Amino acid sequence: MKSNRLAASLGAAFVLTASASTAALAQAPVCSAPVKVLAQPRDGLTLLEDSKDEFQKLSGASFQIDYLNENDRRAKSRADASTVGNYNVYYVDEANVALFASSGWIAPLADYYPAEYDFADFDPGRQKVATYDGKVWFAPLTGGGDLMVYRKDVLEAAGIQPPKTLDELIADVAKLNDPDKGMYGIALRGARGSGANVWRWMPFFKAYGGKWFDGDKPVFNSDAAVKATETYLNLFKDSAPGTQTGSWDESTGAFLSGQVAILVESTPLSGMAVDPKTSQVVGKVGFLPPPAPLPGGGYGHGLAIGTKANQDDASKKCAGLFIAWATSKENEKRRLDAHQFGELNRTSILSSKEFADIYGADLGQALADTGKVTAVNFWQDPRWPDLGDRWGIILEELVTGTRTDIKGGLNELEAYANDLVKKK
Amino acid sequence: MRRRSSLPVTFLVPTLAILLVLSMVPTLYAIVIALQNRELSTPGYSWVWFSNFADLFLDRRFLNAVWVSVKWEIVTVVATMAVAIGLGVLMFEVASPRLRNVYCLLFIIPVLLPRVSAAFVWKFAYHPLYGIATYPYRLITGGLIFDPLSKASTALFAVASVDVWQWGLFFAVIVLKLLETLPPQPIEAARLDHAKRWQIHAYVTLPMLKAPLISLMFVKMIESLRSFDLIYVMTRGGPGVATETLDMYAFSQGFIESGKVSYASAMAVLMMIATVITFTFLWKRVQA
Repeated sequence: MKSNRLAASLGAAFVLTASASTAALAQAPVCSAPVKVLAQPRDGLTLLEDSKDEFQKLSGASFQIDYLNENDRRAKSRADASTVGNYNVYYVDEANVALFASSGWIAPLADYYPAEYDFADFDPGRQKVATYDGKVWFAPLTGGGDLMVYRKDVLEAAGIQPPKTLDELIADVAKLNDPDKGMYGIALRGARGSGANVWRWMPFFKAYGGKWFDGDKPVFNSDAAVKATETYLNLFKDSAPGTQTGSWDESTGAFLSGQVAILVESTPLSGMAVDPKTSQVVGKVGFLPPPAPLPGGGYGHGLAIGTKANQDDASKKCAGLFIAWATSKENEKRRLDAHQFGELNRTSILSSKEFADIYGADLGQALADTGKVTAVNFWQDPRWPDLGDRWGIILEELVTGTRTDIKGGLNELEAYANDLVKKK
Repeated sequence: MRRRSSLPVTFLVPTLAILLVLSMVPTLYAIVIALQNRELSTPGYSWVWFSNFADLFLDRRFLNAVWVSVKWEIVTVVATMAVAIGLGVLMFEVASPRLRNVYCLLFIIPVLLPRVSAAFVWKFAYHPLYGIATYPYRLITGGLIFDPLSKASTALFAVASVDVWQWGLFFAVIVLKLLETLPPQPIEAARLDHAKRWQIHAYVTLPMLKAPLISLMFVKMIESLRSFDLIYVMTRGGPGVATETLDMYAFSQGFIESGKVSYASAMAVLMMIATVITFTFLWKRVQA
């Protein structure tokens, strides 16, 4: 009898508290206007748009996402954040987070990320990439390193074991290249950009011992850079057509349509390769870490709070709530259910039984192994996009044959780097 | 003495004032910025006067962009006018009035497409493996690969062909309509004198259309200066810097690569000065 009374009292208290909370929420929604987001196309964000009503109930306002492809998103967000500040939330990445943070264009995320959304659950590598100058600036939407993805059937038919070293990779790519049969040895990125051709070139540069700077002194103009560029250009002879001026879309598109034997690319490709909706090579693909000594290119993209559009604390809280909700466990579970491999970032999801059931043990093992060789290959500095994009132009010229002097290109980049350092 | 009406002033002053504000404010602002060292990532700036202009003439990409812009202007204007006159005359000579209407309708469609859409359609059409525009080459050569957008020798012409596809066909319709408005007597007189068809057009109809054709050419010259969207979508100025025009390079410096808005403004100011001088010179030559 006593316990019944206690239960009834607790129940009544819960109902009253819940009603009060609902009433409070109804009276003071966190957001007073729709959240404007500038992003690049991601399956996870498209899926998120199906749950707009949920965010509306949670915050009191809806959201609107404007999409631009990667290079355009970078250019537009830089122009917008530094001038008018139309967007509450920016999609940022490892290459420009230092610039955005040091310029004051984005706010530290931890101050506005509600604790119940458990930021610590994100993969530690991605948390590291999201951190600059000791503060966290974005919540990850995607990230990881590199994997070597290869066609098991093509390698078996040629009697070739998957390459474990860079020398083996170079030799195997040449053997497997057979344009007459519509099969190309590899697919690289030729299009300009610190996140495009330079991104794929950097593991070679690091593998040969290259370094960007020693303090304020540029030291990248070295034998390592020359050798890395020669190797990259040599491999490009066997790269699929369209990749000479293409980037991620062109190189992964060539692989997924069955025209490429071996590819070293960012980890989301592996999820796409096993998905019948995006791949014509399902069941024929193997995964391994990049051939030694190639390091994987550690990266992370995510959502950050813009400062110009969010002048007061209340609007920053609203943007923070949107970011927390968009990257929550619930939304990440929805992405897992939709087989959006590249959109998964939380350890609770990546180590779940559902993940293993969908993607199998091989891929899980390859991901664990590649984590050990994943590194930050770029210069972690606000001036990196400037320097990286300049090298991207020169590298594109070398790839397409409009210039041939590797050393001349590096000299030009060194002069540019010296100017950048002087202006600091 | 007749009282002067105040009506022209009433109508003209507000319009001219708005025009002045809209055109002069951004122009003056661009000139002012070009004399400073503003960058997107830093709020501070100082006056550097003509230093940006001096730097431009030591910048190999700027000099390349000037040359690419000149090539782009010549190729697109000449090819557009050639296609327009050729097709216009051809339709006038061989097509029945009903068929001409059908051609006119078809030829107007490309220019109605937004530039960005046209650029994406043709970018895919030029794909070395799947593109419909490269298919004949693959068929004839037994599967050899031709990638026009990644070769420095062909990229500019491949992008220019899209511009000509849009404007050349549209101008052909205008040329046809101009030919239809000409009085028939001079053409009949030339026929009585046994002039051949090409002679009639070379010596009679086209000279009669000199003024409207020159106007069309000027329109195209101005339009060709604004081809940023087409080049940006199809090649981004590549391969390397083979299709990097002045506006493309200015945008790259201002917003894609460096955030050097002052440097980009200096380019825009130089481009404006060069355009004004060139067009004034050409206009005076044509008037003479």
